[in-house]
Amino acid sequence: MSPTAVQEIQREHEARAWGWVAHLRDGGTTPWSAWGSLAGADEQSGRYLPGAQQLELLRRLNLIRLPSPELADRVLGASAPGRGRPDLGLVGVLPDSAFGPPPVDPSRLPADELVRVATALIAEDVVAAGDPLEPRTPRLLRRRYRLLGDPDLTDVVRDALVADGRPPGGRRATVVVTGTDVSSMLVHVWTARSLGAGVRPWPEWLAAQARRGLPDRIDLPTLAAAWVPRVGAGRVHVVLDDARRASRLVGRRRRVAPAGPLSADAVELARRTAPVVGTLVAPERRTALMRHRLRPVLAGWPGPDLDIPRRYRPWLVEQTSALRRRLASGDYAVHGVLPAPAERRGVTAPDEERVLALAMQVLLGPAIGTPMAEQPASETGQREAQ
Amino acid sequence: MSTGTKKVILHVGTPKTGTSYLQHVLYHNRRQLRRHGITYPADRHDAHFLAALDLMRMPWGGLEAQAIGSWDKLAESVRRAGGAAIISHEILATASRAQIGRALDSLGHGHGTEVHLVLSVRDLVRQIPAEWQENVKHRASLSYGRFLAQIQDPRREGRIPTWFWGVQEVPDILDRWGHDLLPGHVHVVTVPPTGGSRDLLWKRFVEAFGLDGIDLQLDGERVNPSLGSAETTLIRRINRAANESLEPAYYRPLVRELLAHQTLSRRRKTPRLALPPDVHPWATRLQESWTEEIRRRGYDVIGDLEDLRGAPPVTAYADPDHPDESLVSSAAVDALKAVLLDHARLQRDLAQRDAELRETQRALERAYLRPTYRWRERLVRRLESGGTGQLVMKAYRRARGRGAGSA
Repeated sequence: MSPTAVQEIQREHEARAWGWVAHLRDGGTTPWSAWGSLAGADEQSGRYLPGAQQLELLRRLNLIRLPSPELADRVLGASAPGRGRPDLGLVGVLPDSAFGPPPVDPSRLPADELVRVATALIAEDVVAAGDPLEPRTPRLLRRRYRLLGDPDLTDVVRDALVADGRPPGGRRATVVVTGTDVSSMLVHVWTARSLGAGVRPWPEWLAAQARRGLPDRIDLPTLAAAWVPRVGAGRVHVVLDDARRASRLVGRRRRVAPAGPLSADAVELARRTAPVVGTLVAPERRTALMRHRLRPVLAGWPGPDLDIPRRYRPWLVEQTSALRRRLASGDYAVHGVLPAPAERRGVTAPDEERVLALAMQVLLGPAIGTPMAEQPASETGQREAQ
Repeated sequence: MSTGTKKVILHVGTPKTGTSYLQHVLYHNRRQLRRHGITYPADRHDAHFLAALDLMRMPWGGLEAQAIGSWDKLAESVRRAGGAAIISHEILATASRAQIGRALDSLGHGHGTEVHLVLSVRDLVRQIPAEWQENVKHRASLSYGRFLAQIQDPRREGRIPTWFWGVQEVPDILDRWGHDLLPGHVHVVTVPPTGGSRDLLWKRFVEAFGLDGIDLQLDGERVNPSLGSAETTLIRRINRAANESLEPAYYRPLVRELLAHQTLSRRRKTPRLALPPDVHPWATRLQESWTEEIRRRGYDVIGDLEDLRGAPPVTAYADPDHPDESLVSSAAVDALKAVLLDHARLQRDLAQRDAELRETQRALERAYLRPTYRWRERLVRRLESGGTGQLVMKAYRRARGRGAGSA
């Protein structure tokens, strides 16, 4: 075959790909492998063909609900953040080349690749939602406290107190260390880190804890003992499985609504998104945005809880016994009893397909940060599916 | 250099081709370059690295927080500058087409700015071991054998192969970055073979970046030095032992800088890391196809494409996966000595800081005892307890430029 004929065939393949791009922009859902048409082939809408990951993500979004034209443009123009596979070519477009990553059939891409692209867009939306409200000026006369331990129990109470002008710290503070059963605390710590500075995937992280011991944040006796010499044993309280009592000890009389629970897949999506948010805003803003902007959105989606595999049961029991023994020997007040490890009846690891489904729902949903009362019954900017 | 058409020279890789030295020279000669109409816009030595992280939204052990907004800042400096501007960082090689499009647009490409791309390249016979070593210096703990198997796997899945090909596959990098540029504006600088003149590469950079006739200070170490085979094995073993407990913020100064760069790289007489003889034919075949492609595309080659042929297989291969344990243990002794000396230095610093802190505490206590401090404290409390007083305090704080907190 002459070089001219080869070039002609190549042009036709590329035109077919541009036609598919136009089809997807119009809300089409035909997979690339079934796309034989040259319709829309003259609509080259960019300098280069978007990657297979971006195109397949748009097709999957179209399958759920039609995204706004702006969202479709953003998907096609997105780059997968961080390290990982580069934008991949469509199989059958370019002649076999000795260079570059091998082209793919987009429908065969693992969900993980599409989640990576989606996190770039979700991160932008999280930042666009804006910072949470500034807390009020700290009160001069306020109870001095420090609230430590299980993040699920402490974070919401501390947030409420800070918002009310009662930040933690100060001399002669009452130190309250909160805890609940070890398995729940482990899930809570991983969740908090997923929303914050970042953490390894759940199975890896859990295995590392089992080798090393409980994370510092839920090593309740060590936390309590560290504060005894600083504030005196009389000011240190360990409160077990009793959020109300912990709140009252730090000066919060009104009930604080607990944070909405997150499914295993929601935490995983947060874990994947937080590092990308961290490339857009400083660490302290990242954590605030993740907790106050993305978390409420994720909490609105149902899904299985995260559980700990059964093989860790003996380790959990052993850790619980050790914590009870050490707490009993401390010279600080202990309120309540550390419960036995809970049976959480969930999944032992997030599922990539469900994480992708959730990521797409977040992208298609109301703008992040929109108060629930202001959310329209049907999302704005959506076009009728074709 | 002519200051007629605005020109941006964008150096995007590849790693281990003298890029660190080039960037060191450019950074320390910024003023001299400016006098010759060349801008190297950087307020810190790693400014272009941070800009690249920002452009590619790439987390990098916490450094990304310092990178936020860096690319836009860099691009603005380039747009403002007259004459020519140079941007250089090797991780830009991995940028996606969308990121490249954004980068070129932000630099004014297509709006009167002539963008020239520079890619410095070295033969795969040296690049492959260097890349594994670089991975090890970034906490990787996989063996050399596994690394080689992963990069030879045509599927290219996983972190290691995607990064390797992203920064090393020369025709693909040139295709992505040069997509919108004239072939004559794409300059391929070849790194001379081992044993050649040390100045030859620098002369090629001078030609590529238009630095001829500028009196530059070339002192300073050729940074990012390489390690021997046994030394790399030692770092890999340290990674395996300490990765789980050593936080990223400490890894860089302690393992990468103190141990690898400042200590183990000075052991120059131990066997060097090389390409295994059985992998050599695959690498040289691949290299030949790349060289042919560069020639075919008609880029401006500075140097000689024959430089990329690569040395023949080594006769005495020092396998880092089956090292000479006596060499590893002597490297470990050197490493331990370095850690001890550094620890002693820190102890001295700590003792000095303790003394300073105690003195500050004493001074603070003396200040608290002064009657005026107690009077002021009492006055603030009294004012805060009443509505009028609160207004007075608010006005006072506003005047002092504070929104809240103590008076």
